[in-house]
Amino acid sequence: MSAERYNRQIILKGFGEEAQQLLLRAKVLVIGAGGLGCPALQYLAAAGIGHIGIVDDDTISLSNLHRQILFTTADIGKLKVEVAAKRLQEMNTQIGIIRHPIRLQKNNILDIVSRYDYILDGTDNFESRYLINDACALLNKPLIFAAVSGFEGQLAIFNTPDHLTPSTNYRDLFPVPPDKGEVPNCAENGVIGVLPGILGTMAAAEIIKLIAKIGQPLTNKILSYNLLTQEQYTINISHGEGYTLPKTTDEFLNMDYQDTSEGPQGYIEIDANELVKLQQLESVILIDVRERHEVPVLDKQIFTQIPMSEFGAFMTKEFYQKHVVLICQHGIRSVAAAEAMQEKYGEAKKIYSLKGGIVKWRNHFLRS
Amino acid sequence: MISFGKIAEFINNQKIDVDGIADTDAFKQYLENQFPALKSMKYKLALNKDIVQENTQITNNATIAIMPPFSGG
Repeated sequence: MSAERYNRQIILKGFGEEAQQLLLRAKVLVIGAGGLGCPALQYLAAAGIGHIGIVDDDTISLSNLHRQILFTTADIGKLKVEVAAKRLQEMNTQIGIIRHPIRLQKNNILDIVSRYDYILDGTDNFESRYLINDACALLNKPLIFAAVSGFEGQLAIFNTPDHLTPSTNYRDLFPVPPDKGEVPNCAENGVIGVLPGILGTMAAAEIIKLIAKIGQPLTNKILSYNLLTQEQYTINISHGEGYTLPKTTDEFLNMDYQDTSEGPQGYIEIDANELVKLQQLESVILIDVRERHEVPVLDKQIFTQIPMSEFGAFMTKEFYQKHVVLICQHGIRSVAAAEAMQEKYGEAKKIYSLKGGIVKWRNHFLRS
Repeated sequence: MISFGKIAEFINNQKIDVDGIADTDAFKQYLENQFPALKSMKYKLALNKDIVQENTQITNNATIAIMPPFSGG
């Protein structure tokens, strides 16, 4: 170890050589190299966490760059894990960076999580968050939870007992996930770049505190942060009821995490090429489920506009087309619409959702 | 009363006179009547900075926080 690299924190009173050694021996897994993951990764790598794993199966897009600060304009289209690992390795050549360019699912998460000591959840959807929570609870891994919405953030540490409370988990706060579409995410709702920057950095600080055994980490507490007022509010979490946590690997594998890429889902997720092919069909309706104010505006001759806010009413009517293609900005609301349609029509109609939405296939839509 | 996230869009931080409301179950009922949008939302209450896991007596000048789940990242 080059003591020089970490000199400024080693000489810090209350930190020292011993704490630095703990960081260098630690293995931290960061799930999601996005708005929360990028700043967390930068500070964890810089601080000298010895082994850092990064999980993300996504590629970099232009709309990521205002908050995902490890990436440059030239990186668009590349795998986040690859670019992040390269940048971090250049910054700190003395640590190990492990790439996991995959989407975590029931069948792979336990294997990956079990290789690390601390897990940071910086994902952007409830399916992943409940999957990660249950896996960490099952394997008894400290879980640092960070999430944002609008101008606010939440930060908590789970699966870590303290002197007052046995370890708690996310289900002690919210026993079951919200329904699809009940809580908008960043892609739907927008986010100011610096907010996940702050929360991701705070999450890195909590991990460093836990590993170095300094200060009072947010163990069994949830902190609410408001960017507009700079106010923080901390709530103590206690054990709750009304949920089942898988106690064994078999129970875990039998849980339903509504992962759309698992099992028969009925509807089909398509790319822009398949969209073009479907457009040629005789009996097809292309439905844009975005609200009326959203841009870019699509050709109304081709795309029927039925915003999600009016979708319930539309579902009470009948239409003749056999193939239904649903699209929205990021392919999230269109999945919710596809599920509703699938439930109503079953085999009677073929339902499709454009994966990644208009943003992912921006060039296609600007051309046509 | 302190509220967070989407809930803060329709319930402001405010002093509420809860005369006749003795416990957190009754308070939940009161909130859902006043703000019907809550009925279809997931949320958690905290009484004086402790998460409410079972029906709890509300004392004088209590601070109640109401928090929805966030998933963004």
